[in-house]
Amino acid sequence: MNRLLSGLRDGKGFDIVLVTVPLLFLFALSGLPLIYNVVMSFQEVDMFSLGTFARPWVGFNNYIAVFSQPETWPIMRNTLVFVVVSIAGQFAIGFGLALFFTLKFPGASYIRGLFLASWVMPGLVVGAIWNWILAGDFGVLNYILKSLGIISENIFWRSDTAWSLWGVVIANIWNGVAFNMILLAVGLAGIPRDLYEAAALDGATAWQRFWTITLPMMRSTIGAVISLGLIFTLQQFDLFAAITSGGPANSSNVAQYWAWEQSFRQYDFAKGSTISVVMIAVVLVASIIYVRSTRHEVRG
Amino acid sequence: MTIRFGLLGALALASISLLSLGAAVAQDEVTITIWSLDDANQPALNLAREFDELEPGIKVEYREIQFDDVVAESMRAFATGQAPDIIAVDNPEHALFAARGAFLDITDRVAASDVINPDNYFAGPLNSVSWDGKLFGVPKATNTIALYYNKDLYAKAGITEPPKTWDELVEVSRKLNDPANNVYGLAFSAKASEEGTFQFLPWAQMGGGGYDNINAPGAVKALEIWKTIMDEKLASPDTLTRGQWDSTGTFNSGNAAQVISGPWELNRMVEEAKFDWGVTLLPTETEGGARSSAMGDFNWAIFASSKHPDEAFKALEYFASQDDRLFPEFGQLPARSDIALPETGEPLKDAALQVFVEQLQYAQARGPHPEWPKISKAVQDAIQQALTGQQSPQAALDQAAATIKGILGT
Repeated sequence: MNRLLSGLRDGKGFDIVLVTVPLLFLFALSGLPLIYNVVMSFQEVDMFSLGTFARPWVGFNNYIAVFSQPETWPIMRNTLVFVVVSIAGQFAIGFGLALFFTLKFPGASYIRGLFLASWVMPGLVVGAIWNWILAGDFGVLNYILKSLGIISENIFWRSDTAWSLWGVVIANIWNGVAFNMILLAVGLAGIPRDLYEAAALDGATAWQRFWTITLPMMRSTIGAVISLGLIFTLQQFDLFAAITSGGPANSSNVAQYWAWEQSFRQYDFAKGSTISVVMIAVVLVASIIYVRSTRHEVRG
Repeated sequence: MTIRFGLLGALALASISLLSLGAAVAQDEVTITIWSLDDANQPALNLAREFDELEPGIKVEYREIQFDDVVAESMRAFATGQAPDIIAVDNPEHALFAARGAFLDITDRVAASDVINPDNYFAGPLNSVSWDGKLFGVPKATNTIALYYNKDLYAKAGITEPPKTWDELVEVSRKLNDPANNVYGLAFSAKASEEGTFQFLPWAQMGGGGYDNINAPGAVKALEIWKTIMDEKLASPDTLTRGQWDSTGTFNSGNAAQVISGPWELNRMVEEAKFDWGVTLLPTETEGGARSSAMGDFNWAIFASSKHPDEAFKALEYFASQDDRLFPEFGQLPARSDIALPETGEPLKDAALQVFVEQLQYAQARGPHPEWPKISKAVQDAIQQALTGQQSPQAALDQAAATIKGILGT
């Protein structure tokens, strides 16, 4: 008894307790809902059977129903386009800004702090602001583009089937730049200065220094940023709800918004959970990549 | 050590049992819970508090829920046995619960009641609380839509009176459309949400159609007129993704000469519109043709799982008895045809209200049908497909009709 108690205070027992407590917490608050969701996608759900696990089992019927709907593949295509372009845009601009701020000009750290504004603002507030910016008749974006002569007629970002997805992409890129910039700046700061000095002495140009020193040394950071970016972009719901609500005729509808719409507007909970299970599978792949890319950082 | 523990334990046990005894004695009174989306400026919260004070044996617990959460919250609560006694639910979603037996059948109680009389209510709201010939609730308030128009812009364009038919509406909108000055002829909402269905169904109904007959020739004509309006840019392209409140905002700022919306706009319009304006009944398909309008706002209902249905019904009777205060104090229209609305002293608002009250006579409920959200979605999809040019109005409505037929099971 005494040995067990002392093991709990300092030694193997303590380690086990430290790990078990958060694991239980995670299981109860994240694991159980996940299991509930997956199970629900195989059942027939009704407003009266929401409270129990015992619902009629329908196997893969819900999945077949979801994939045989005409709007499924366009929505999946929209999701893919949204994720790829958002991540590319956020990463490129975030990396550019992170490199820019390594120049250490006066006031750099204060200005860099201002860029965090987009990260701090709640999603729906960002959505509401972009709603006004993207308005067709009186929006600021159209005004700027017309003044610069890039377009001659107003683009109806929210209501034109060709542009609705891009409107949300622009808002999302703005939203995610801060996150990318911060993580990439941290990664950049970890590269020793003398590597650059040595390369400069050897006559390497700025581009060569970037390509042969910066990028390879940032590999695990880039892997982490892109995986996290994928996960967060797949969770991006507020902007869709606030700006286009899935756009005219599903032109800006994406899987995450569609799943919510099925569950909470159509009250078809089984379909909503089916779509989200498909998304879980995709996010699982991204998470595996993330874990592997940071593996060497864990003392093992 | 053990004696001390024993004493402490005995004391604890004694105090706990005394407390519970005291609580049991105080539990003579009944507690009913009411859920509604009204805040302190709206009726339900205040009426609930008054009822609580009036009835000594009944305690009322009020909970405010958000509009978007009403149905999902109620479903979840009912499924887990935690439903409130009374709820205020949006009228097209009433049948969702009534048809499944989630709401209490109050036909007999209403028949025996001195306060609630079905004959006093407008046809539309009464229809929305009925299912299978029985009453499952009491209308709380109502609203509808009509055509607002800018009298100053009318005078400038030489238009003497507001349009009475659909073709006249398009003609007038063409005359008023002024892209050079950023003025659209008309504003309304064709959003892919319940608001879009809310705005389109009156047109379909005036054309001889309805939700169960959405591809009737008159309904197709209505959608074709909507398409003409959008194609000729008589209304902003953002109409497809903008709600009624925002579209009316463009009317208030003078960027649209007419707008189709409801009485909830009146207070803001009186403050913000810097021009002379008026309201007229929705134009019909032909001169003197059938009239129809949308019907909004909420209904009261008692959950079938309520443990205190008599007290809950008493609360509903109290709320119904206060219907004559709905308008003067809270600016909402009661769903009753036997209550005359007093003057507010604001001439434009009073004139508008008279028109809305007249329009209420023709207001039709959406459904009622337990699968209304799916039916509504089929209509919304058809509107969006037709107005974005992806399908012709006929094809879009035919597809919606087929979907709805599948839902209705006919």
